[in-house]
Amino acid sequence: MSIQLVKCPACKIMITISGKSGEKVPIACPQCKQKGFFTLPGEPRSQIITTDEIAIEVVNLKKQFNKFIAVDNISFSVKKGEIFGFLGPNGAGKTTTIKAMLDLIHANTGTIRIHGTDVLTHGKEAKKYVGYLPEKVAFYSNLTALQNLGFYAEMKHASKEECITLLEEMGLGDVGKKRVGTFSKGMVQRLGMARALLGNPPILILDEPSGGLDPRGVVLIRDKILAMKKNGTTIFISSHILSEIQEICDRVSIINKGRLVAQDTVAELSNKLNLKPHITIMVDVMTPAIENAVKAFSGVEVLKIQGNSIEIICDGAMKAKVILAISTAGGNILNLQTKEPSLEEVFMRYTEA
Amino acid sequence: MRTTIVTSIAKKEIMDNVRNKWIILISVMFALLTLVISYFGSLRSPGWQDLGVTIAGMENLITFLVPIIALMLGYAAIIGEIERGSMSSLLSMSTTRFEIIIGKFLGLASVLCFMILVGFGTAGLVIAVNVSNVNYLDYLVFLGATMLLGLVFLTITMFLSTIFNKRSAAMGGAILLWFLFNIILPVVFLGLLATSVDITTIGPSSTIIAPDWYNIIQFFNPTAVYSSLITIAIGPVSSMDFSSIIPLPSWYSSWLLVSVLLAWIILFFSLAVWRFQKKDI
Repeated sequence: MSIQLVKCPACKIMITISGKSGEKVPIACPQCKQKGFFTLPGEPRSQIITTDEIAIEVVNLKKQFNKFIAVDNISFSVKKGEIFGFLGPNGAGKTTTIKAMLDLIHANTGTIRIHGTDVLTHGKEAKKYVGYLPEKVAFYSNLTALQNLGFYAEMKHASKEECITLLEEMGLGDVGKKRVGTFSKGMVQRLGMARALLGNPPILILDEPSGGLDPRGVVLIRDKILAMKKNGTTIFISSHILSEIQEICDRVSIINKGRLVAQDTVAELSNKLNLKPHITIMVDVMTPAIENAVKAFSGVEVLKIQGNSIEIICDGAMKAKVILAISTAGGNILNLQTKEPSLEEVFMRYTEA
Repeated sequence: MRTTIVTSIAKKEIMDNVRNKWIILISVMFALLTLVISYFGSLRSPGWQDLGVTIAGMENLITFLVPIIALMLGYAAIIGEIERGSMSSLLSMSTTRFEIIIGKFLGLASVLCFMILVGFGTAGLVIAVNVSNVNYLDYLVFLGATMLLGLVFLTITMFLSTIFNKRSAAMGGAILLWFLFNIILPVVFLGLLATSVDITTIGPSSTIIAPDWYNIIQFFNPTAVYSSLITIAIGPVSSMDFSSIIPLPSWYSSWLLVSVLLAWIILFFSLAVWRFQKKDI
């Protein structure tokens, strides 16, 4: 059975069709109602249709190790040009999913498409589009950084000049001729990032990119990720550093015990959980009247009143009412800070069971 | 299959091993051993012995030494990279598993053949300069057969490297295999022969005509095939060669024995490819 996304020639929306490889399937566009036939592609990869918007598509992926189900029927898609965070506690199935996406492990069921190319049937073709930074970065310790990078560059059709440029960009320009065996963990991690960037791939898959890096290294990698996004690169990141993910990711997926439990923007996930922002209000003088005015709202949770500041949790509509009530009670607001719900809160809520 | 990827991987294997320096040490050891055996190998006529006598002295040593070196080269070829973490990076490139394993095999085979050629070849040249009536062809046959023996053990250990999930287990398997082919199987085969032949009728200088099944089961031991190949191609050379007691059958030929060694290589390389294709990294 083959499943394909086909673009309607009239209204350009994507239509999902299924059938046997090479079969002529009748199609009807649900939007413009145009009817026609489409011949599902056979083996030659040149006939595989790529979607315009989707860079990575995982459908019903399942991976079982003996009796343990590591990944249980998960589906998600990553849009071209976005930074997508893939989160989950230890042992949730993140690395297994990534490995399946790169054909490193054999999925039991499911379909994975990278740039529209099926990884399970055309793995070599699909991997052309990907630069990968594994969780456990390793190189050949007897070879120099440049020799190591040169080895992978041959497979990516990248030049020696590109290797040198990437080493410099990753702050390793002066140690290119040193054996990797002498490198610190952070240097190996940065060399791993340089390897992932070889050949300027349209998709980057980064598994714990900040692992083993010092703060300067973290900033270097983060800036590089943001620069790659500006160039249109799709970036798929798995990380435990939630603050970093929140800062740079357009959307996130949360996986727990092998199952996908959430997928959206951080703001939308907060809304779904009814998580409200933290608001800190500073007044010139804190009076009992102000305290009582704030505490009187049923939709406001008062976290802390300390000195002349008051910390509450409430939604946007209630915030305006609180501000008005404080003014009515004679308080002059000196400062007001709103902190949106953190990804950490979202993560903890989705993975707490 | 893209040849550039295969050659890149093979080249990397060679570079990695050359950097390791131990292949240079082993080549020097081969050369020194050959020279020592050639110079001190005969009690009857001291000094340089010709290449035939040197091969005689070397044959048994080689059946012990070359498999060990091939096993050491190959046991970590796949599992070592998986354990270290570099295999996932390699496979994430636009490569196939077949390209990786064939590249690794070609690289390691080149290293092994280089050690044999340089080690034994250099010593052979030194000996040839010092003796008259040199039979170069015999020595080339000896080098070729030795390389085939090494490649058999290399493919067997590459297969072991794909079936075990730990480098240490693969090493243990390789050591067990060495004992199996060098100690256990020859003893078991001789024991089987002894039970089928009336040994009380055999005098000190008489020979045992082994039944065909005995000659066939020898094919299951590549070191025995190698010894038979040397005996047939060059002549009965070793003092420890059983061919003086148990003559080789008339239907044994150099081509048959070379084919058996090649069959070992093809079989275990195919098994290694098959297993690696199925392996989760």
